[in-house]
Amino acid sequence: MKWLSLLTNEWIKIFSRIRTWIFIAIPILIIIGVAVYDKVTTDVEVNENWKQELTQTMEEDKKVLDEAKKNNDDEFYIDMLETNIKQNEYMIKNDISPYEKTTWQYMKDMAPISSLIGLFVIVVASDIVSSEFSKGTIKMLLIRPYSRWKILLSKFLATLGFAFVMWLVVIIATWLVGGLAYGFGGIDQSYLIVSDDQTVKERMVVEYVFANIGVEFIELTALVALSFMISTLFMSNSVAIGVAMFTMFAGNTIVMLLANKDWIIYTLFANMDLSTLIDGQNQLIKDLTLPFSISMLAIYTAVMLAITFTVFQKRDVKA
Amino acid sequence: MTTHTLELKNLTKKIKGKTIVDDLSFSVREGEIFGLLGPNGAGKTTTIRMIVGLISITDGDVSINGINVRENYEKAMEQVGAIVENPQLYEFMSGYKNLMQYARIMPGVTEERIDEVIKLVDLEYAIHDKVKTYSLGMRQRLGVAQALLHKPNVLILDEPTNGLDPQGIYDLRNYLRLLANNGTSVIVSSHMLAEMQMMCDRVAIIQHGKMVRIDEIQSKEVEADVKVHFQIEGDVHQAKQVLAEINPELDVVESGNELIVQTADVKSIAELNKQLVLAGILVVGIQRKTKTLEERFLEMTKKGGDLNEMAVPVNE
Repeated sequence: MKWLSLLTNEWIKIFSRIRTWIFIAIPILIIIGVAVYDKVTTDVEVNENWKQELTQTMEEDKKVLDEAKKNNDDEFYIDMLETNIKQNEYMIKNDISPYEKTTWQYMKDMAPISSLIGLFVIVVASDIVSSEFSKGTIKMLLIRPYSRWKILLSKFLATLGFAFVMWLVVIIATWLVGGLAYGFGGIDQSYLIVSDDQTVKERMVVEYVFANIGVEFIELTALVALSFMISTLFMSNSVAIGVAMFTMFAGNTIVMLLANKDWIIYTLFANMDLSTLIDGQNQLIKDLTLPFSISMLAIYTAVMLAITFTVFQKRDVKA
Repeated sequence: MTTHTLELKNLTKKIKGKTIVDDLSFSVREGEIFGLLGPNGAGKTTTIRMIVGLISITDGDVSINGINVRENYEKAMEQVGAIVENPQLYEFMSGYKNLMQYARIMPGVTEERIDEVIKLVDLEYAIHDKVKTYSLGMRQRLGVAQALLHKPNVLILDEPTNGLDPQGIYDLRNYLRLLANNGTSVIVSSHMLAEMQMMCDRVAIIQHGKMVRIDEIQSKEVEADVKVHFQIEGDVHQAKQVLAEINPELDVVESGNELIVQTADVKSIAELNKQLVLAGILVVGIQRKTKTLEERFLEMTKKGGDLNEMAVPVNE
């Protein structure tokens, strides 16, 4: 299959660049750094008196909550305080220490690192089409005996492959580092969530970790499709990086501002943060569910890819 | 019967109502070097871009080895090697890795072939260096190398001598000739007349997207191009009479103290000299002069008629 060689070529191009290796190294260094910092600074004695400490925190939270209610503060803030208090109460009652750390807990704690990976994937995805235009190398590629869609598909799959590999490398690194720092046990460890009816429940940490790994693959696919479309349309990687990053980061702020609008759940950025939907904690829009968001992302991805391929097929290359 | 490897039929490109290439038709024979000559902006590069499928064809057809590019692009491009404008390569990779990119996706390129091509363009000493360290000439040569990798029978080079030094140009010319002799059709574009005349068998002159004319370039040693200048001490007119008596058909022109005779044959020059000396004419010098390329071009364009507005720089 000669066509696979196109994929090999793209893969080689991605990994021939130093920045790719830096992108992989940064999250790994952060993972190691956080574990080391945590190990060095954690006071073991305090951890053993965790019940006392938790009670203290709870008392303070209660005071703050009363204050907040008096001042008619933001509902979201009040909710958060109530949740915290409930969780702490439950922990003390059921003897669940918040400091009992294992590699699975570490993986859950480090889950937000996926945004960093999203960022690097955006850079690579935005670059893979537009830089060939800006450097003019696209000409050398398009005059080969391959239809344009095959060339574009090879680029899309190579970027997707890169994104997935990077995510897997980071997951494995987190598990390893967490295991070395806190031990590899704890597969049966649970954590607490507060559901909508304000009852506290236990959930498996492992469950969260694997759900998070899964949804990140979906998020990355949508993110690659988005950057890909923008960079093909505008042939500029800076525009593509800008738009994709905006969707990923500023998207949250916009969603918060427009959270009470009905149509917000149909926008791309409202559905870009799947991990909050796993256990429904800190969820900005209550109407969203995981299946709904995944379906929305699938539709968006399909439409964006369709636009990208149509435009690329017809474009006059003057680079 | 001559086989045509590349055929353009009424090729037209319009961009936003403006006609860039206008009803262009020509056929390139197997084993010839065909030039597209015209000033900058004449539509040479646009034509080449349409041939290799970089831009869409508004009207007309392009066939490569009898396969219509619009109908079966993949099949048609298998036998094509090209450089469109400057060869732009991946700067962050070595020359060798760049070649590997193309070797991988073209049919039938072996490792030996890669080495052969590298040797041919004389890049062995730098092939494992990153392309960002290459000079323009080295990039050009690497570009030629990638175009030749799969032994295409149609080779399209847009401004191939750009950035090459005189030695490089000479080598390229010889190599293109070798390829052509082996049956490859080579299409080169240039705005430099001198280059085209030395390189091509036929030249299509394009202006404002239209074909002005196609000229056969005659070989350098044709009689019409070589003139012999006899420097005469004394009566030049008498000397002319002497030559006219020997051969009335001989084209002899008086110019100052010189007689200019059109002949390329060395023996006849010696014979003419002998006759002049025997007739008592003092011949103080004999010089063979080839017509300058500029002279040739001007002659060519005069025949072409309305080419006055076309400025073709000869030396850049």
